[in-house]
This record gives sequence, structure tokens and C-alpha cells, in this order.
Amino acid sequence: MSDQTADSAYVAAKHGIFSSWRTDVPASIVVALVALPLCLGVALASGAPLFAGLIAGIVGGIVVGMISGSPLSVSGPAAGLTAIVFTAIEGLPSYETFLLAVVLAGIFQIGFSLTRGGVLAEFVPSSVITGMLAAIGLILILKQLPHAIGYDGEPEGELSFWQRDGSNTMSTLFEMFRNDIVWGAALIAIISLLFLFWWDKARPKDGPLRLLPGPLVVVAFGITANMFFLLAAPSIAIAPSHMVNVPVSNSPEEFLALFRLPTFGAIGNGAVWTIALTLAIVASLESLLSVKAVDEIDPKRRVTDKNRELLAQGTGNIVSGLLGGIPITSVIVRSSANVDAGADSRLSTVLHAVWLLLSVAFIPFVLNLIPLSALAAILIATGYKLAKPKLFTDRWKQGFTQFIPFVATVIAILLTDLLVGIVIGLLIGLAFVIWRNLADVITYVDIDNAVMVRAKRNLYFIHKVQLQAALSRIPDDHDVLIDLSGTNFVDLDNIDIINTFIKGAPFRNLRVVIKGDPRGNLAPLINAPLTNNRAT
Amino acid sequence: MQEINQLMLHNRAWATEQVAEDPQFFTRHVADQKPVFLWIGCSDSRVAPDQFTQAVPGGLFIHRNIANLVQPGDANLMAVMDFAVGTLNIDRIVVCGHYGCGGIKAALGGPTPGPLGDWLQHAVNVYDDHRDEIDAMPDAEARANRLVECNVRDQLLHVAATAPVRAAWAAGRDLELHGWVYDLRDGLLKTLLEIDRNTDLGDVDRPERVLL
Repeated sequence: MSDQTADSAYVAAKHGIFSSWRTDVPASIVVALVALPLCLGVALASGAPLFAGLIAGIVGGIVVGMISGSPLSVSGPAAGLTAIVFTAIEGLPSYETFLLAVVLAGIFQIGFSLTRGGVLAEFVPSSVITGMLAAIGLILILKQLPHAIGYDGEPEGELSFWQRDGSNTMSTLFEMFRNDIVWGAALIAIISLLFLFWWDKARPKDGPLRLLPGPLVVVAFGITANMFFLLAAPSIAIAPSHMVNVPVSNSPEEFLALFRLPTFGAIGNGAVWTIALTLAIVASLESLLSVKAVDEIDPKRRVTDKNRELLAQGTGNIVSGLLGGIPITSVIVRSSANVDAGADSRLSTVLHAVWLLLSVAFIPFVLNLIPLSALAAILIATGYKLAKPKLFTDRWKQGFTQFIPFVATVIAILLTDLLVGIVIGLLIGLAFVIWRNLADVITYVDIDNAVMVRAKRNLYFIHKVQLQAALSRIPDDHDVLIDLSGTNFVDLDNIDIINTFIKGAPFRNLRVVIKGDPRGNLAPLINAPLTNNRAT
Repeated sequence: MQEINQLMLHNRAWATEQVAEDPQFFTRHVADQKPVFLWIGCSDSRVAPDQFTQAVPGGLFIHRNIANLVQPGDANLMAVMDFAVGTLNIDRIVVCGHYGCGGIKAALGGPTPGPLGDWLQHAVNVYDDHRDEIDAMPDAEARANRLVECNVRDQLLHVAATAPVRAAWAAGRDLELHGWVYDLRDGLLKTLLEIDRNTDLGDVDRPERVLL
């Protein structure tokens, strides 16, 4: 980028969130279309009323979007919470009691924000974050393939390998071929996918067409194609069960009745508090990971304030719970669709919720004309972008300390679920940290009859072998300097090794002196005199 | 980033880190200096004694000039000697030459005009005094290495002849003079010779070759 364009981009960035409406408005429509079936699918999988998913989606966009500092993250009902939400609703006396737990979870999250819990997100290495993104990309492709050919055995938005019906991602893939393929759905999906990949390359650089999002074309095409099938070839037309299914209300009163209030009387119920805390922790983790991942794919590489994000998420959950919605997190699929559609600011995420609200309130019957296979094509294309082969080859080139945690995270998430997968990726990342710190921490040098054993860095129990080996190398009848001045911490395991060595020193005619850490914390723990040399 | 800014930033970072590791670091220094070594070395930017000995601030009292020469008429160095030996009571003096010394190479070419040539005349004299052995060396590099070594020996003798050193020995102090070279090729210090108050200054041999 030349200095001049960088400057103008910098100026544009300073002009507030409405400056980028040209790209944000089209992106917001795409996100709304993608979000719609996901909101419904997550609600269905959570055992909650379908409309509760839409409430969560709308609140996630408007409330979280307004408060959050993340320009591109989209929040809404999350697949990662379905298992917890499902059992919680089953176990509590009523759905309204569960809503109270959602409100309380939001309050807990605000507490996390005030205690600066958001910093946790920064401890996840980027190899694990990109591994998570790639895994979600692959999951999207695998889980959306059945929807693409009209097999909707499983609710939209599911991300876990093991599904609640006892099958898993792979068995569902085989299952779908044994079922009747809905040829109309498959046709729409294939044409849509071809178009999306072509449009991605062929999209003009300027002119009005440059702002036309491929997914919008795909949805419009899906609706018209199915109408055409209904007229010309009813045998392959898509049945309503393979289409978007928004609850349609016949009057404003009926619409308002879809909102529910929490049962505040259940505040004394211990289970409500347990569920609230669980929700708060898991939702916060998911949000932090998602926001971190979205920062990673932001073309402008902006960095989100994670504590402010927790505040936004908490507020979102309070509002969602109060209105009858299920819990919210920042969600990667919608967020990456947002990035993909060219969004530039929070305007897109806020507007997506406005479109959700308006369309659900006023034109639900139009939404219900959208075939799920058209939306599946959009998500498969998004999934491909998250899990591009280039991502894997790039990580490979960065060396195996990057590649192994990355691939391990991908596989672990594919075979388990998001949080378990991340934990496995983190553990492998940590193993590498230990391994990297293990190497070469002790320097051993000698001249004539003097030897120095020096710690280059802090000594932890993992370094015992090296320290022991260096001390064992020292020949009898020498002056020995043990130099710990490069450390500010040596653990007791290593102090023990040094003291044991010192105890044996007189029997080997070794005269040991110590150079301690600069603060002087270590010297008192070691039973040898400090060196009284001053120049070094 | 400008060189000067980066240098300043490194200074800021260093000061911050010193205090973080050792809160007393600067407080100690404000009080006094008690260096252990007087270091007479070459000005060459690659030969930084407190880096390659990892000496701490307060450890070395340093004088550097081109080709680490000790000239009795050099008011600067004589003042340094006076203060270091007479006032700071330093009992260890190091004269350190180094591999690849530009001043020494120039001296091998004989006298040249100008201030630098004037300064290096002292090294040319060293060359003249050891010409027999130096000229017998097989190639230019070996000749330069040998002049570096002979130069350290001769300069160390000049140090021994200065008034502050002679006074210290006369007072019975255990003052030692060390002649070393620093090998740019491997970063190691190599010892050439050592002079103390019992050394017969009229009978100091040329050192063994160490720059090979």
C-alpha cells in the first residue's frame, strides 16, 4: 500500500462508524441472512422456543454491537452453549426460570469484566486460534453439506462432533447419501457455490457491482429457482421443511406474546445460580476466543478491548434474558461471514440485527421462502475461506512449533468440541513452551583450574537434569563459581541440587563461590560464600 | 526509526530493566566508584572491554586510544594513570591489543604525515624495534598479528615506567600489569605476559605467539 492510500485509510478510520456504510450495509444484509437459520437452529438444538433464538440474535447485534469495541465480531445465540442450555432448561422448573439464570450470567460476566478477566484471551497462542478458525471452517463444510442437498437431520449451527441424536459429523455425512437427495436443493447449492467462488474472483474492482455481495445473489437465486421448480418441475421443488422457518404471527399482540419475562421469584433457587455461573464462564470463554479469532482475520488487524467485550456480552445476556432470549456469545461463523462480506465497522453487526428484527416482525413469510441449501452454500464458501489449504501450508512453513499445535487444535476441535479442542491445543502449546525453555539454559566454561557454571535464565524443575549434569562435569581440585546473576528466580529443586553439590565439595577439594541474583534473594538459600570480586 | 532515537530508547529500556532487576543499582553508583581494573585498550568499535568481559559498571576504569599506545608525553593517559593508580588505588592494569588492529596495520607501512601519522609514530617505533622477527613472518596477516603482540609488550613496559606505577611498587603495593590480546575471530582474550614488582624490567622477553 502506498503512503497516500494508507493515509487516506487512516483518515477514513477516524470518521466514526457511519463512514463505512457503503460496505457495512450490504455486509449486514448478508450476515442477517446467515444469522437467521443459525438463530433458529441453535434455539431448536437448545430445546428453547425458536423465537428465543431470534431474540438472542437481535440483542446480540444491537446491544452487544453497540457496547462492544470489536469492529467485526457478531454476537448471537451460540452453538457452543446448546448442550448446557438444553440440560439447564430440562432441569429447571420452567423456561422463565432459565431466563433468570441468563440474566444472572450476564451480571457475572460484567463482574468478570470489572475484574479484568478479559486478559485470559491473550494467553491463547495464535497457532491455536487459527487452528480453531480452520477447524470451524472444516466443521462448517462438513455440517452444511447435508443441508446443501436437503438433508436437514440435524439443527443448523451445531458444531460438536458427537451429536445429541447419537450420531456424529461423519455418520451424518454417510446418512445423508442413504436418504433421498432433494435434487432441487442440491442443484441450488451447487450453482450457488460455483457462483460464489467465481464471484470472489470475478468481482469488479470498481463500479456499482463491486458492492454487490455474492451471498445476496445466491439467496435471491435460491428463492426464484425454487419458485421456478414449483411451477415447472414440482417433483424436485424444495419442501418447506428444507426452508427457513421463522414463526409467523398474525397480529401485533401475537408477536408481542412471543417475548417472555424471567421468573424473578426463583432467585433463591441454587440450581439457577450454578447454571448462571456455568453459562457465564463458558459464554465468556467462547466470546473471548471468538473475538480474538475475529481480530486475527480483520484485514485491518484491529485489536479489541477484551474487558469491554465481556461488559458488552454481559449486558447482552441481561437484556436477552429479560426479553426471553437464550444466552449470547460472540460467534465465529457469523463474524467470519461478516468479515468475508466486507464489513468494516460495528455498523454492520448492529444493522444485521435491525434487519433481523424488521424482517421477522414484518415479512416472516418472505424469509420462509429461502431454501436452506442456498444458505448452506454461503456457509460452505465461508468455511472454505476459514480452512483454505494455504492456511495449512503457511503454518507448515513457520515450522513445527507452530504447525503441531495448529493441527492438533484442528483435529481436537473436529473430534470433540470448541472448548475441549482449545484446551488440548493449549496444552500442546504449553508443552512446546516447556520444550523451548528446556534447551541450553546452563553455560559451562573453564580455564586452568577455575570453572564457572552459569544459569542463562531462570531455573525451574525442568532444568534439574542440565544443572546436575553441569555440576557433575566439574573435575576435582578446582575453584568453582556458580553464577546465578542472570536469573531472578531459581526454584527449590535446583537450590537443593546446588546445596547438595556444595556439601560434597570439600571432599573433592572444590572451593565454591556463588554469584547470586541481582536482588539478592537467592544467596541466603545457598550454603556457599558469595564471590567478593567486584568487577564482573 | 532514526539511529539516535533507537539509541535513546535502548538507554531508557536498559535503565528501566536495571532498576527492575536490582532496585539499588543506581543508588549504589551515585555514592562512589571503586573500579578493580585500569583498562588501556584500542578505540576500535569492535573491541568493547566491558562487553566481552561482562564487567559491571563500576568494574573497569577505561582508557582507549588508537592502537592502545602508552606514550609518556600523552597528558590524557598520564592523568588517567595518576588518578587510577594514585587516587582510586587500582592494583590491576591491563593493556589489551586486538586482532585486526587498523593502527597497527598502518604502522607496518611506515611513517605517514598528519595527526594520525604523528600518533602512530610510536607504533612505528615498536615495529622498528622488533623488525627482525616481524619481517620474518610468512604473510601480511602474521606480520600484523606479531606487531600487535610486540606492541602490547612494549606498551606494558611503558606503563611500568610511569611515575604512579613506580611509586606504587616503591610503597610495597601488589600492583600487577597484564598484557593481553582480544581475538576478534573467536571473541576470546589471550594472555601474553604479566609484570609485577619483582619483574626485572630490563629482561622481559617477547611473548609467545597467541594470535595464530
